[in-house]
Amino acid sequence: MDRRQFIKDIFLWSAGASLAVPHFRILPSALAAEKPPALLSLARGEDYAALVAQVLAPLGGIENFVRPGDKVVIKPNIGWDRSPEQAANTHPLVVKALAAQALQAGAEKVLVFDRTCNEERRCYVNSGIEKAIRELDDKRVRIEHVDRRKFVPIKISRGKSLSEWEIYKDALDCDCYINVPVAKHHGLSRLTLGLKNSMGVLGGNRGSLHQNLGQNLADLATVIRPKLTVIDATRILLRSGPQGGDLKDVKKTDTLLASADPVAADAYATTLFDLKPDAIESTLAAYKMGLGEMDLDKIQVLTA
Amino acid sequence: MSSPGKRIPVYVWRRFGQSLFFAFFLFLFIKTDYSGSDELTYAVNILFRIDPLLAFCAWLAGKAVIALMLPALITLGLTFVFGRFFCGWVCPMGTLIDGSRFLFPHGRQNFSPAWRRLKYYLLFFLLVASFAGLPLAGYVDPFSLLVRGLTFAVHPALDHALTSFFTFTYQQGPDWLNALTEPVYEILKKHILPFRPKVYALSIFSSLLLSAVIGLSLLERRFFCRNVCPLGGLLALVARFSPFRLQGGSTECGKCRQCRKVCRMGAIDEERNIAGADCTLCLDCLEFCPAGRIHFTWTGRRNAVQPTGITRRAFVATVATGFLAPLVLPSRTLARRADSALIRPPGALAEKEFLGRCVRCGECMKVCIGNALHAAWLEGGFEGVFTPRLAGRIGYCEYNCTLCGQVCPTGAISKLSVSEKHATIIGRAFFDKNRCLPYAKGIPCIVCEEHCPTPDKAIKFRESPVMNSRGEVVVVRQPYVIDELCIGCGICENKCPLSGESAVIVTSEGESRHAGYAGADGY
Repeated sequence: MDRRQFIKDIFLWSAGASLAVPHFRILPSALAAEKPPALLSLARGEDYAALVAQVLAPLGGIENFVRPGDKVVIKPNIGWDRSPEQAANTHPLVVKALAAQALQAGAEKVLVFDRTCNEERRCYVNSGIEKAIRELDDKRVRIEHVDRRKFVPIKISRGKSLSEWEIYKDALDCDCYINVPVAKHHGLSRLTLGLKNSMGVLGGNRGSLHQNLGQNLADLATVIRPKLTVIDATRILLRSGPQGGDLKDVKKTDTLLASADPVAADAYATTLFDLKPDAIESTLAAYKMGLGEMDLDKIQVLTA
Repeated sequence: MSSPGKRIPVYVWRRFGQSLFFAFFLFLFIKTDYSGSDELTYAVNILFRIDPLLAFCAWLAGKAVIALMLPALITLGLTFVFGRFFCGWVCPMGTLIDGSRFLFPHGRQNFSPAWRRLKYYLLFFLLVASFAGLPLAGYVDPFSLLVRGLTFAVHPALDHALTSFFTFTYQQGPDWLNALTEPVYEILKKHILPFRPKVYALSIFSSLLLSAVIGLSLLERRFFCRNVCPLGGLLALVARFSPFRLQGGSTECGKCRQCRKVCRMGAIDEERNIAGADCTLCLDCLEFCPAGRIHFTWTGRRNAVQPTGITRRAFVATVATGFLAPLVLPSRTLARRADSALIRPPGALAEKEFLGRCVRCGECMKVCIGNALHAAWLEGGFEGVFTPRLAGRIGYCEYNCTLCGQVCPTGAISKLSVSEKHATIIGRAFFDKNRCLPYAKGIPCIVCEEHCPTPDKAIKFRESPVMNSRGEVVVVRQPYVIDELCIGCGICENKCPLSGESAVIVTSEGESRHAGYAGADGY
């Protein structure tokens, strides 16, 4: 290497250290899907692994959402350093069964991740989700910690409160995005359900979204569009959410909800807490933006 | 005997030994991290527990024998038999200094031998001052200097360099390149780099200190080990009595002074006597003696050459300084009221005892998964520099984590069970209502309440009508702290979404290690 080449290389690499701008392009128009039908499936049972297949059956099974060769993202709530019975995170058996279903439908890749609130490794381990996914022992499925290089700024053209936010590339750049929140209490938004769970694919200072949380979540729902929402209400946290910690606050309900309509899923899940759908600002805001149905009379509930 | 051509030179064995110990040290350094279970799998702090300087200083400061530090006696015992092998074969700082010799090819030899006394002065001062209430050993202990430099500066810098590189290839490179680079990056992240980029207070200062220790070799080979290192001083005192020793040179060697020339410690005098106190058993003299006269053998008798000792007068002066220096400590304002910004890790002993035991090794800051523990500057006084403090705005104490107590080599931070940790108060949070959004601006927020980890939340909220900046009266949820439930973990301060100063700040008030304490001399 001569001096000239050396200096050129140095410039190149130091530019890489400081000036690198992500060059992914994801057009908002590609993200806008047609309005899904307001169909909701409800299943109850104690065998959570079997319950996943059961709740999907009335919607046409997983095959209706995952096609052979698809890249699938499963986004559970792994936000907290809490154990499964504390009900702060999605139940590991539900996540595992869902991943198994996606594999069965012929998915080429299944990716599981969440941007956590507590320390990431502790959350992945103590939620039981990392172990559950590893137990599948299939090369096509991976549970990953968030890679900060993958947050890309996305324009939110339909947003009323937000115009742009950094979103995890894999959540947008996949064939099937499956949202698997756990239903639980939340101090500010009263409940955290599907729309709130989308915050796990966001970069940036997420805390600042709380200043107008309901509308912000609805705005984000215009670009983060799960094909399928499965709400884990196998046990629900009634107080001291979103992380709980006291088993006295947990109620066992053995319920799963599934819908292609993210607003309908959230709206119906609200009733499990004896609340009306419009008690949750994000549900209301998303409904007003035409992102889904919240009128319980118009949601067709199929009991599996 | 095999022919000389086939024989592996002894320095190769020594280098191999040094490399092995250094690799072991780096392995433990990397393993000083959360590993997927609440308990650490390795005794990652073993390096500090075999350090007799730190052991004696901690014992003298605490006026008690700390069982954790007993392995240090093994080092001392082996030195008593074999001499300063520790400095030449084991000490990672020594290895680093040897390994960086190529940076200083023209290091002068035989700097004034009077400098050698410095390490004894330092040693006696540190021991006496520790006993008298001014514990400073961690400032100059070679392991503490090394681990602090690596933890605070070198490791984060390596992470930054590699991550920048792989970010560039990831974002700008073609797919075929990423197919090669991404697996490499993944392996590096898994096994070498910190899990997440870390930041540290005093990082640049610590790296300068480490560089200075290495850079001293510019004056003379192993200048630090010869003249400054108080651990070396302690081992030198014991090595005077070691019966195993290198010897063999004499006036019969004539004008050949090859052994003197190669000796990195300047341990060989004009008569080719090898001083046990200075020799670190690098075996270069044995290897390079043209006549093959030098051997490592049992002599059974006292070392013929006495090392450069310190005079009685200097010894008395050093000891007196050690006793007198702590007397000025009560004159500081700190003696009346502690700095409320100084929040110690959970399990930390009461302040005086804590300072006595803390050896400033930086292990707790390395292992802290919240990146919450940082080196203090003068918050804890002159004797508190480099001791750990929680910086809530930078990181927070993870509710279920007990790693800092597990790595502390001296028990300055007690090892706590998870339930004990949950009940340990390290401080208390306070709201600044002039900044907190629901109070100051009528804007909803309560991110602090969301993150508060106690099962019965220490941060609760009440709904109150507030006039916002547009003059409208809105009902917002205003957070407040329940003192009896707050343990001071700092997650509220950390997660407060304000871009500048947090609107909720943790202070050391109410910490359980000083139950009932109202300021040492306060009313």
